[in-house]
Amino acid sequence: MERATTEERRTDALVVGGGIAGLEAALELADQGFQVIVAERQSSIGGHMISLSKVFPTLDCASCITTPKMSAAAHHPNIELLTNAEVNAIQPGPEGQEVMLTLRPTYVDAAKCIGCRLCEYACEAEYPDPFEQSMSMTRAIAIPFANAIPQKAVLDPAYCTTCGACLRACPTDAIDLDQQPRTLQISAGAVVVASGFRLSPLSTKPQYNAQRSANILSPLAMERLLAPHGPYGRVLRPSDGKIPSSVAFVLCAGSRDLTLDVPYCSRVCCMYSIKQAMLLSGSLPIADITIYYMDIRAFGKGYEAFYQNARAMGINFVRGKVAKIEPTDSDDLLLHVEATDSPTGALEPRRHDLVVLAQAMLPQWDAAAAAPVARATDGFVLTSEITSPTATGAEGIFVAGAAAGPKDIVDTIAEAGAAAMQASRYLKERVEAAVA
Amino acid sequence: MAHTVNENLLPKIRGFGAFDINACFQCGNCTAVCPLAEESAGFPRRVIRLAQIGWEKKLLSARELWLCYACGECTLTCPRKADPAQFMAAARRFATSRYDRTGLARFSFGSAVGNLALFATLSAVFASLLLSRSKEIVTSHPAFFEFIPGAWIHDIGVALIFLIGLAMVSGVASQILHFRRDRRERSGLAPLAWTDLPRAVAGGLYDALAHVRYRRCAKQQESTPGAVKATGWRAKLREPWAIHAAIFWGFLGLLAATTLDYLFKPIGSYVPPWYPIRLLGTVSGLVCLSGLWMAFQRRCRGESAPPASVFFDWFFLLLLAAAVVSGLAAEIVVYLPRGSAAGVAIFVTHVVLAMDLIVMLPLSKFAHAVYRPVALVLDEWERLSAARGTAESAVARKAA
Repeated sequence: MERATTEERRTDALVVGGGIAGLEAALELADQGFQVIVAERQSSIGGHMISLSKVFPTLDCASCITTPKMSAAAHHPNIELLTNAEVNAIQPGPEGQEVMLTLRPTYVDAAKCIGCRLCEYACEAEYPDPFEQSMSMTRAIAIPFANAIPQKAVLDPAYCTTCGACLRACPTDAIDLDQQPRTLQISAGAVVVASGFRLSPLSTKPQYNAQRSANILSPLAMERLLAPHGPYGRVLRPSDGKIPSSVAFVLCAGSRDLTLDVPYCSRVCCMYSIKQAMLLSGSLPIADITIYYMDIRAFGKGYEAFYQNARAMGINFVRGKVAKIEPTDSDDLLLHVEATDSPTGALEPRRHDLVVLAQAMLPQWDAAAAAPVARATDGFVLTSEITSPTATGAEGIFVAGAAAGPKDIVDTIAEAGAAAMQASRYLKERVEAAVA
Repeated sequence: MAHTVNENLLPKIRGFGAFDINACFQCGNCTAVCPLAEESAGFPRRVIRLAQIGWEKKLLSARELWLCYACGECTLTCPRKADPAQFMAAARRFATSRYDRTGLARFSFGSAVGNLALFATLSAVFASLLLSRSKEIVTSHPAFFEFIPGAWIHDIGVALIFLIGLAMVSGVASQILHFRRDRRERSGLAPLAWTDLPRAVAGGLYDALAHVRYRRCAKQQESTPGAVKATGWRAKLREPWAIHAAIFWGFLGLLAATTLDYLFKPIGSYVPPWYPIRLLGTVSGLVCLSGLWMAFQRRCRGESAPPASVFFDWFFLLLLAAAVVSGLAAEIVVYLPRGSAAGVAIFVTHVVLAMDLIVMLPLSKFAHAVYRPVALVLDEWERLSAARGTAESAVARKAA
């Protein structure tokens, strides 16, 4: 096989990650006149936020906030989006930072694809849709999701049967099954790491038996159930399509637990669980909704009022860490928990038909393995200076959002702006130094 | 009602082995995961809470201390790695030292050194007491009681049992008084009826003898995902409750054999190995020893719950094992054709170790053999009276 040669590129700033942090930082830098490349691991920008239903505490529609940002970034003359891009290494070089990237093949020529979806309709190989948290199916060649940017089909070779139906359906001959990975070396004046988070696996705590029940959900799955264009179009429980009558939220299901190696608080779980509980009580007015918590951490602006509203709306709050979850024969779930706020400490197992586990936020990408930044004890990028929260200690590399630690959207956007400002100043100082 | 807070309670219990308990943030995971905790007897969290707020009297009155069999499920899943199982064991050691009126338990539980010093002193005292009446060693045939008069051993034993019995009774009295005071201070409890006591005693003792709760402990471990599933009778025999049952029933058998021997057999008279009482002793000793052997195996392989790693636990098991092994060895010596100095030494060692064991009853892990059944009886009594209270109020409601 012919070895692909490395393409070399130059840019002012490179942003790792095209989620809300990366997009915000890229837009801020681009608006100041800098050339920006956004390297996104997935096939669409938008990150986690584009898959959310609504945001707390305002209950604004998440995609109504994210889509304009995505679209602004995609159409900005100073921004270039690289999707399906893996950042392999970031090293200091003569021109700033040398960033090594691999672009995964999508088996579709992006220049020719017009996003008509005829390939998707023709494809007969189905697999669980990762965007819908595996609650519905997608096809081996498909546009990632309805409002994905770019609107280009992507073929997943793991599920493709190479039947050729898409090749025949494509009106522009865009499908190229011989596509190879491309490697890029980009010289960037500054780098902003905005690689975000991932959730700890549902199976981390064996006592929760998540593998044994389809009705134990990730919070991201609950977001999809609540989203207006979600997998079922309404809230049903996955195992049998029953309308849930009793939903439980288990807080700290992965965080603040030394046995799971996550001693820290993930900060957002209390609030998104309260938000989901509120939205659920709208879509399932007669359902019982219970939040099992250790402490409610409603620290942000308007959060405490939001929490008090939820209590006033009749959402049950039970203080106690859920120790064990047992699936029953009828696909319900028995939660073993001591209600430590009841005077006697109620111990009866509690039955629910749907359970959401607030998993821990973990770093999505190990930046310290690829770049000269340090890893903090919690695994996220180390930011040592309190007066400069986006500085990584490595010159020219800045960090924003959940890459630096668990964070909500408000803080992420504020931090992305700060990182862009720091990067901008750094770039200007470099130019001035070069002139002088 | 006024309650005294002992602000040193938590540090004190930590000193008894619960080194990590300061990390506890009261989430209740331990109680929720515990197979034995119940609405009316919630532990470990509520007991930890009592220690944290320094409510010593309430803690000492808590029968929950003795309803825990240290399966270690709580420690495995504690999000703070606060080791609740070890805390419960340390709280039992603390309670044992507080119930004890002789003051020696504080010494024997205070530190490993204190414990060993007490043990060494006792052994030296008993050995010298025994040897103070010793005679020539007979070698023509094995004859222990021609070396040390049987009556002398008997007298020391009776005195010891009397004194230690007093100490143990006072300890149990203290346990019961704490329980009673706590009941008086709580309102809304159904009164304990004396008529329920026989049933409570029967129920509590049955639980202790048949290991009813202990067996529930083992079931839980099996149901925990990821845990090694015990299958087949061989694996069943290796479950903690089965190991404990072997040691427990073996020990009771030995106790019975010794008592029957004393009642029905002239001291020092020869009986063949198949003589029923002798046979009971031999079999019980072997059962006890096999239990101890499996307990040591589990500990060495790191399969046992955290409290088993502590010196006080090891010490008691080793003492018991030494007493049983020396007893079995003495039995072999009896059936040898000739007597010897070594044979006599084995015999004296066995008697000294047995006496040590008697003294250690209120002063070591051994104390659980008394405090736990008492707590089980009290728990059963409490349960019966609560049921009676509910039934009576239902009748009253119906009448109204």
